[in-house]
Parts: sequence; C-alpha cells; structure tokens
Amino acid sequence: MDFEFTDDQVSLRDAVAKWVEKGFDFPRRHALAKAGGHSRAVYTELAELGLTGLAIPEAQGGMGFGAVEAMVVMEELGRGLVNAPYAAAALVVPALLSAAPAAVQSQWLPKIADGSALVVPALQERAARYALNHVTTSAVSGVAGWLLSGQKSVVPGADEADAFIVPARISGGANDSAGIGLFLVAKGAAGSSVTGYPTQDGGRAGELKLANASATLITEDGFALLEQAVDVGIAAVCAEGVGLMDKMVAITVEYMNTRKQFGTNIANFQALRHRIADVKMQQELGRSMSFYASLKLGEPGPQRRRALSQAKVQLGQSMRFVGQQCTQLHGGIGVTDEYVSSHYFKRLTMLEMAFGDTLHHLGEVSARMQDTAGVFA
Amino acid sequence: MDLNFTADELAFRAEVRQWVAENLPADLSHKVFNSLRLSRDDMQRWAKILGKKGWLGYGWPKQFGGPGWNAIQKHLFEEECALAGAPRIIPFGPVMVAPVIMAFGNAEQHQRFLPGIASGEVWWSQGYSEPGSGSDLASLKCRAERVATSSGDTFVVNGQKTWTTLGQYGEWIFCLVRTSNEGKPQTGISFLLIDMKSPGITVRPIITLDGEHEVNEVWFDNVVVPAENLIGEENKGWTYAKHLLAHERTNIADVNRAKRELERVKRLAQQEGVYDDGRFRDQIALLEVDVVALEMMVLRVLSAEKSGKQSLDVAGLLKIRGSEIQQRYAELMMLAAGPLAQPFVHEAMEAGWQGDFAGAATVAPLAGTFFNMRKTTIYGGSNEVQRNIVAQTVLGA
Repeated sequence: MDFEFTDDQVSLRDAVAKWVEKGFDFPRRHALAKAGGHSRAVYTELAELGLTGLAIPEAQGGMGFGAVEAMVVMEELGRGLVNAPYAAAALVVPALLSAAPAAVQSQWLPKIADGSALVVPALQERAARYALNHVTTSAVSGVAGWLLSGQKSVVPGADEADAFIVPARISGGANDSAGIGLFLVAKGAAGSSVTGYPTQDGGRAGELKLANASATLITEDGFALLEQAVDVGIAAVCAEGVGLMDKMVAITVEYMNTRKQFGTNIANFQALRHRIADVKMQQELGRSMSFYASLKLGEPGPQRRRALSQAKVQLGQSMRFVGQQCTQLHGGIGVTDEYVSSHYFKRLTMLEMAFGDTLHHLGEVSARMQDTAGVFA
Repeated sequence: MDLNFTADELAFRAEVRQWVAENLPADLSHKVFNSLRLSRDDMQRWAKILGKKGWLGYGWPKQFGGPGWNAIQKHLFEEECALAGAPRIIPFGPVMVAPVIMAFGNAEQHQRFLPGIASGEVWWSQGYSEPGSGSDLASLKCRAERVATSSGDTFVVNGQKTWTTLGQYGEWIFCLVRTSNEGKPQTGISFLLIDMKSPGITVRPIITLDGEHEVNEVWFDNVVVPAENLIGEENKGWTYAKHLLAHERTNIADVNRAKRELERVKRLAQQEGVYDDGRFRDQIALLEVDVVALEMMVLRVLSAEKSGKQSLDVAGLLKIRGSEIQQRYAELMMLAAGPLAQPFVHEAMEAGWQGDFAGAATVAPLAGTFFNMRKTTIYGGSNEVQRNIVAQTVLGA
C-alpha cells in the first residue's frame, strides 16, 4: 500500500503543468470562454503533448497508460482550468471503444491518439437524468446498416467533434439494461444534425439529433461497458475537481493574506480562519476519495460501481463546499466575471452534475450497501 | 500508487488476526460490541494478555522491548484488535507516557518505569488539564517547588488536575507542573511522574451526563515527589508534551473502531426496522462515505510515514473528522432505537442484564453512549483549537 507517484508520473504532471503555465493563462481561457467555449485548438495542443493517446494501447498509437496517469493529468487540467473535452474524448471514449470490432478500433483509435479525430460520448437523454439504463434513442438494423433515431443532449464539444459514441436501444423497454447497443456516428452522417452552445463553465456542448442516422455498431450489448466508461469519467471528474479545489484554495489563501479590512489582513479573523480550515478538510477528503476512485477502477463491476459512487458523493460535497466557501471568503470580487476564482467556482459547480450528482450517488451507495464497510470491504 | 497491502503486510495481518481470535476473551468482546460497561479488571485483563505477548507497547521500538513495527503494521494491529471487539488499550501508559520516557528519560527511568507499562501491571493516568487551563493548557498553575532535603532534592506539588480519565484506578500519574513563572508560560513547565499513593493526593469522581464515573479531579496537597521522577530537564516539559502529541497522529482518528461501529449501526437499524427506510438508510450511506474517506486519509498518512518521502500535515484534520464520525455513529444508533432509547437505567450498561422494558437488553445503552461521545470533539485539543492549527498551516500565519 502506497500513495507515492513514480518519477514518470511526476514528469507527466510537470509536463502538463508547464504547458498550462506557458500556454494557457487566464486571459486566454477567459477569451475562449467569452467567444463561446470553442476548444478544438486547445485540444490539439493537448494532443501535441501526447495526452490524447494516454489511455489508448500502444499498438493503436497510444501510450497505454493507466488510471493513475489519467488522474495526474486530470488534476493538472483542473488546476489550469482547461476547457477542452479531454476526459470525455481521451479517457471515456477509448473505454467505450475497447469492445469495438478490430476494424473500428484501428480506424479510430490512432486518430484519437494523435488528436486528428475528436470523438465524444453522447450519453445524455432528456428524461434520463443520471440513469444509464434509460435509453430511448432507437437503433434499427436494415439493409442500409444500423439507423439511429433520437436526441442526445449536452454532448461535450458537439459542434467540433468528428464522431460520437451513442448508446441506443436495440430491444426492450426504455429502462431495461439489456438491449442497449453502442454505436459510432460520424460527423455529418446522413440524418444527423448538431446544435452547439456554450456551457456555464466556459466550455462548449450541444445537441445531437438523429433521424434514421447511419451508424457503425460497436457492440449490441453495451450496458456493462457503458457503466465502466462512466466510472472512468467519474474518476476523471474527481481528479479534475481536486486540481480545481487546490488552485481555488491557493487563490483564496493569497487573497486572505492580502485583503485588508478593519486595518488588518482578513486572514486574521477567526470566523474566516475556521472557514478555511473546513475548506481544507473538504479538499483533503476529496483528494483522498479521488485516489480511491482511480485506484478502484480495476475492481469487478459491483465493487467498482459502489466505490466510484462513494467517491462521487465525497467529491460532490467537497466541490460544492470549497467552491461556495471560497467564493464567500472573497467577498464581492468573488462574484465578478473578471476575477479568476468565479470561473473555478463555476467549473466546480458544473462538475457535481457530471456523471451523477451527490444525491444520485448517495442513492447508489445506499442501494449497494453491504454489512461491512471501509476501503477494503 | 497501490491500494493493496503487500504480501508481507497481509501475512502480518493474518498472524495478528489469528492471535487475537485465540486470545481475546469472549466476554470482553461481547461488552465491546455492545458498548457495555468495562470494569477495571476487564481493561487490565486484556492489557496483561497483550503485555505477555509483548504487544501492549505495540508502538515501541525493539530497543525498549517493543515489536518495532512500522506505521502500517501498527495500523493493521489496531485494526485487527478493533474489528475483533478488543477493549481499547488504555493509552496513558503504553501510548502516551512511555514514548516520552524513552525519548527524554534517563537509563534509570527506562528500567524503573517501562517494564511495568509494557506488562500492563501498572495503571497510569494523565495529569494535564486544570480547572482554569483547558484549551489554554500552557496557563496551568499546578505548582512544583524544588526543595533540597538531606536525602536529595524533591518537588513539593500543590494544585489540582481535572478530567483525569480513569484516574480512580491510577497508580502513577504523569503531570505537567509549573516550576517557573519566568518568561513565556510554556517555558516554565516540567514533566513529572508522581506515585498516586503519595500522601496528599485526593481523587474525586466527576459524574458525566451519562451517569458514568469515567473522569476525576485529582488534588495535590503538599505532595512530595523525589526529583529523580523529573523527566528530562526542568522547565522543558512543554516540549516533551508536544512530542507526545506527535505520537498520536493517526490512531486519534480511530477509523478502525468507526468501521466496527458502522457495522453495528447497520445491525441495529435492521433490528429496529429502519434499515429499509430510505431516509434513514441514506444517513447510514452518508456515514459510510465519511468513514471510507477518513480511512483513505489515514492510509495516506501511513503511506507517507512509511516512505519517509513526504509528510502530510493533516493530524488536525484526522482528529476533527474522526471525532465527528464517532459522534455521528453514536447518534445514528440512538436514533435507530428511537423512542426506546429513553430509559435511563444504570444497570442497562452491565453485560447480561435483562430489564423488564422493551429493548432493555440491546438498545438501552445507546443513548448513554451517545451522551458519552460528546467528549470526543472536546478532548485531545478541542475541534476549534484543531481548526486554529489547521488554519495556521493553510494560511502560513
């Protein structure tokens, strides 16, 4: 049992941090957000660092790294407030493609690895909330191949993407776990259309509308894979949250040590000191459970699902508390658009709703409760 | 990064588990699993069993007769004992005063005091808090005056200590006493070992809100203590006490006990019919997440200690979180009992007692435990003092 990072992992972290420092300062980030959150250029820079190949096997042009490396990168992207659909495209999608036919894999994975293709998951349906089994988008097989009909919402980077991974129902009722297939829909496929919009956190998403859109089959039995890929996404969100919290706390501490009221730094007031101590608590509990999330990704399904839900409950609480309290500790400046901390707050807030919010995952923990508990239970 | 214990660590755990299973008396674990009253004999019986095995001083280095375990091994030992329902080791001797004697005592003091602590024969108490010195411990006033006599120097001690846990059983007490009023309050404090059979010592019970006699006042009236009972140098006691605090980093979180008690929350919730009530069950789920997060934080600290590469300054966080969780599980158990938690019957805390009212045998002790646990956020440095310490670390000033 140890929680040390290897030298290679430290180098990876440094490389991302260095890129953030040199190429992704707040003015650039702010300008991108104001211009609608388009981030394909940023994504391409991440690709040039080799990061888009992180989770892709070496045989397919990637680095074949594991969950801890992904966590390290996500922490740094969080710290840098990088608004590109990296986790969705470079971590979740490779997981979804891991069961694809060899031909599909070799067509797409090398292009994902080198960044020439941006492939994003299109999972969200209007009435699904966080239920992965709620899929009403239909998939019908005919002479023209598979045709998909339905609508997916808040698809990350939708109007900049080259392809989408889409869960669609082959058989069964709207909430059946069985009968959910995974499909790849290429950009511009006949019968498909995309509408993009900016998101609250300075990124970009969109609606994917499918009306008998032609699609490539990844697997006809995709639910377990979907759960696994979403767990990869949860771990990524947790790690990004840790990076965001670290930076937001650092900004807040600096502010408390310079802002003067009543003739002294506000850091000297005990009400605020106890608040920052409580913030530190949530930050460290969050970091602890982010480690847990990434280290539990390799467990068998039921244990993995339970662990990832436990982690998301903690991170949901931590991100909310740290974001809200650090905003409060800043006073008025904390709620302005021009000041950096409000952008951390917005990202932290939106991340709670990524891949299931606190109440959703608390319900999962509750439903999956065992007699014993603990890290090794 | 690896969440798994090594093969050696797993083998170590298996060895401890087997030994505890073979040596922990069932009547003791029954009491612990049900939060029933432990007598002095109960507590000392287990201490002596551990002492005989050489495990009472489980944190001790080999040179002082300890097992020389590393941070992970110590944690695994604590975990196995807690999960098996062993009584908590009364920390004052083996965990608190012994490391100070080892680090700052002389060879004669090592020989004189350590064997009785290691075997569990001698019951130690702690004399820190005073009526006027709680969170502001350095303001303590209990006075020790050096007096030269024909048979050597002595200290004459006058004053009062309070909140002395299980002091009614104490044979020796380690005290912080004032030996100087010069300079800062911290620089006039000495660390003195006092035989509680000395003339002039009076121990008076303090009955807490659960009706139990766990803590005491200890009065010193011209108590004569040989100067050879002084640990280290005069007026350096504060430094030694801080060393002691550094020795209780992770076990203060008591996460292993929390895991055991969380299992009990679930059993009680099932028994009382609220386990399938979604609102109640979600509260248990939330506590479960809290316990896992605390355990991960503890494991991070242990890993850092084992590697020696980084130090994680989260001791204050562990104390705050661990104590909050202790209070929460005690509260949930009481709430699971619901209306049946109300009877306040002293005998209900005794093993085997069957009162003539609903829930007497199983849920009657729960409210008492809840009330007892209110101490956890107060003792060992109140959680507010801990927040001051955490804030100082975070803010750098």
